[in-house]
Amino acid sequence: MKIYLDDKEIECDENKTILEIARENGLKIPSLCYQTGLKPEARCRLCLVEVNNRLIPSCATKPSEGMHISTKNEKVLRARRVNAELLMGHHIDKCEIQNEKHDLCTLISDIGIKEVRFDPKKEYQVDLGAAVVRDDNLCINCGRCVQVCADVQATYAIDFASRAHHEHVTPYCEKDLTEVACIKCGQCIAACPVRAISEREHLQDVLKALKDKNKHVIVQTAPSIRASLGEEFGMEPGSLVTGKMVAALRKCGFDKIFDTNLGADITIMEEASELLERVKKGGPFPMITTCCPAWIKFMEHFYHKYIPHMSSCKSPHEMLGTLTKKYYAPKANFKEKDVVVVSIMPCTAKKFESTRPEMDSGVDFVLTTREAARLIKHFKIDFVNLEDEDFDAALGISTGAATIFGATGGVMEAALRTGYELATGKKLGKIEFDQLRGLKGIKEGSIIINGLEVKFVAANGLHNAKEILKNKDKYHFIEIMACPGGCIGGGGQPLPVNEEIKQKRMNALYTDDANLKYRKSHENPIVKHLYDEFLDKPLSEKAHELLHTCYFERGL
Amino acid sequence: MQIIKKTNLKGYKKALELGPGGIIDLLLRKNVTGRGGAGFPTGKKWEMVYQAKADKKYIICNADEGEPGTFKDKFIFLNNPEAVIEGILIAAHTIKTKNAIIYLRGEYEYLKDKIQGVINRVCKKLNSKVKIEIYLGAGAYVCGDETAIMESIENQRGHPRFKPPYPTIEGLYGKPTIINNVETFANVSLALAFDDYDSTLRLYSLSGNVSSPGIYELHYGIKMSDLVKLGKPKNKVKAIFFGCFGGCLPYSELPLTNENVCGQDCMLGANTIIVVDEKQSMVDVTTNIAKFYEFESCGKCTPCREGSMRVLALLQNISLGEATKKDFETLKELTEVIKESSFCGLGQTSMNHIITAIKYFEKEFLDKLK
Repeated sequence: MKIYLDDKEIECDENKTILEIARENGLKIPSLCYQTGLKPEARCRLCLVEVNNRLIPSCATKPSEGMHISTKNEKVLRARRVNAELLMGHHIDKCEIQNEKHDLCTLISDIGIKEVRFDPKKEYQVDLGAAVVRDDNLCINCGRCVQVCADVQATYAIDFASRAHHEHVTPYCEKDLTEVACIKCGQCIAACPVRAISEREHLQDVLKALKDKNKHVIVQTAPSIRASLGEEFGMEPGSLVTGKMVAALRKCGFDKIFDTNLGADITIMEEASELLERVKKGGPFPMITTCCPAWIKFMEHFYHKYIPHMSSCKSPHEMLGTLTKKYYAPKANFKEKDVVVVSIMPCTAKKFESTRPEMDSGVDFVLTTREAARLIKHFKIDFVNLEDEDFDAALGISTGAATIFGATGGVMEAALRTGYELATGKKLGKIEFDQLRGLKGIKEGSIIINGLEVKFVAANGLHNAKEILKNKDKYHFIEIMACPGGCIGGGGQPLPVNEEIKQKRMNALYTDDANLKYRKSHENPIVKHLYDEFLDKPLSEKAHELLHTCYFERGL
Repeated sequence: MQIIKKTNLKGYKKALELGPGGIIDLLLRKNVTGRGGAGFPTGKKWEMVYQAKADKKYIICNADEGEPGTFKDKFIFLNNPEAVIEGILIAAHTIKTKNAIIYLRGEYEYLKDKIQGVINRVCKKLNSKVKIEIYLGAGAYVCGDETAIMESIENQRGHPRFKPPYPTIEGLYGKPTIINNVETFANVSLALAFDDYDSTLRLYSLSGNVSSPGIYELHYGIKMSDLVKLGKPKNKVKAIFFGCFGGCLPYSELPLTNENVCGQDCMLGANTIIVVDEKQSMVDVTTNIAKFYEFESCGKCTPCREGSMRVLALLQNISLGEATKKDFETLKELTEVIKESSFCGLGQTSMNHIITAIKYFEKEFLDKLK
């Protein structure tokens, strides 16, 4: 199809929107409420272009033959400028307090607003959730969080209420986030262009613990952090910064730095054994992974009838947290109460998870990747130029199988590597499960174990999870990660984030895996040692006491 | 008055004789047009829905008469409800559907039982299997917008939808839908029932500072002064407002046709006439109307949600004599951007009253500036 973009004749795909076409042709059109892959809402009115003397939103409009489109005449620019100024009215003075530059600030400087003529008017109470905090006073009603919560996560925890300028985002019936079926995944945080939603900070608690001479403070870092933390310090997405991260945390004053990957290896030992146990007993199938606390909460709200299908394994950092307190502390001559365990996670739901009573959590505080960066910046550490350092031994070494936990499909791949070899006693020829890799929402495959065709599927994004749960009986083993892309796209990860950045983080994890000496959890010598000395064997009484948990129906 | 002539269901009987094609032709020939404000030819709308292929189709009668100063639909429901129900049944016969909904303005709840009674009586008399449901709105102005009505009926927030697709293709529950105003449905029955049907007659809702406000049935194109005089103004008339959304014009002998009115940045809409006299300040009148929009914006798009609040604040400042020349310039810019860039008709027309008041009575605003 032929159209005219600012009088330039171009050929275009009629199924694309004007916004997409213009951007492909190098034209800069600002947009705010539009999110790639989701239905355009056309509410922010910043991506306006002019067609036939009328301003139309380019995000929601497809071209027609011979259409003349102006993307930057004075009428268009004025409308964008005034609308952006109206959005900034509530936000401007608060935004200057925040040091982190966010999407809206960038957008505003692109649009070229010099002065905001309107005063802030909003007076809302801040909603202090256990994991996710919402400050409506910063909100500019773009609706991105609402759309992600509904269309990506199928959770519908928040929506708009009231009308005109009283319109605001709120959980059901103006309740607090803690009182509604919010799964704490933090995808709303990642979607928010103005940081009106953020994680519940535990930074001050951690700083206080670090200052306390009587405390032995241990930090553990999740698999996916090493592939994303560098972004907070201006490094390229996908930079693997394991060594720098360890060095920086040591400089912050942590007494020991452990790798959550060890927890992941133990999770695999337990989970793979659980799967084999079910194969032996003939069910119940499918077995569903429980590494993701947002998925767990989602299940408890909406799918509690599947509780018998859930693995009973705690998530990796909870396993490591418990082992740190129950195994490491006495061995290293510390009283359990003097040991503080801090987890650095890509996740906001982990904050909630560690407060679950039945978890009897060994983890005291959870920091997101962003908070960890703030901590490192607090100590004015020159992250980029740090020499690499190694994790602390004893609970430090781990396998490649654990590192790929950070990507969707990774848990399943790691479990299959171990499950196959434990069950058959044979070595896997090729240990990469290519059908489980990549950013696709749903990935499936099968493997023959002792004559049984074990069918598996991995889903990321809870909308996708809902899809596969419709046909759950087709499968033996299901992995579900709440965040799109898995933990690399977690609600606690550096911002901004997009598909390209997620792909780079994912690649980094698979590269890490390929370069490691041990790539199967059961081959990890520390894991073997732990079982020999302390846990006996997977699913033993001791393992059940320390490494497993249970779930509840939560209602709506 | 033509609008209250009883058809004795002759229109429906004629419709049965004519069949869908014949009905559409007759509506086009007799020049029946939409009375909600846009004036779209009714036959053409019905034909689009008739041609659309779908397993289900719907009819909605828009009785969400929310425009301030408009009360013609209420008048029709009080005086000739049979014609409306008959019109809906004719539409149902045309597009072969059994599903019709009357979206009744929340404030008209007291009419619900009366209308339900008429539905029961007419359907029984005509032995019709069409199910006409009354759906009560909750009082939001935006739910007069055809797509917001659909969202509301579907139990969603009353927000307008992005068009295209238009309701004739994807309307209620994504199905082709005829949505017409109360007066339009009544006119359909009249046009089919009577050979001498006059399509140039309109219902004018006359109000404002007049002694005899009310509904007047007069010809399209009547002179503004002739119409206003019928209302017996209390003082010397200064201007008229075409409802809130249609803007204002200085009092004159201008014949009220679409061409005449639109050419002056106004909209005739549903023939709502609010009379303003010389004792009233245009700044106060516009401030009052701005307050209405500040309250009724649905909140979806930036310019209408945020802008309506800022505009009201600026007008209130002007009214209090506290605004500067710069504030006045800001006001003008805001009104233009809101008009140009809002999502739906509500926002796009919400500034007409200010834009035209400034256009014709700028001095009144300037006199109040610091």
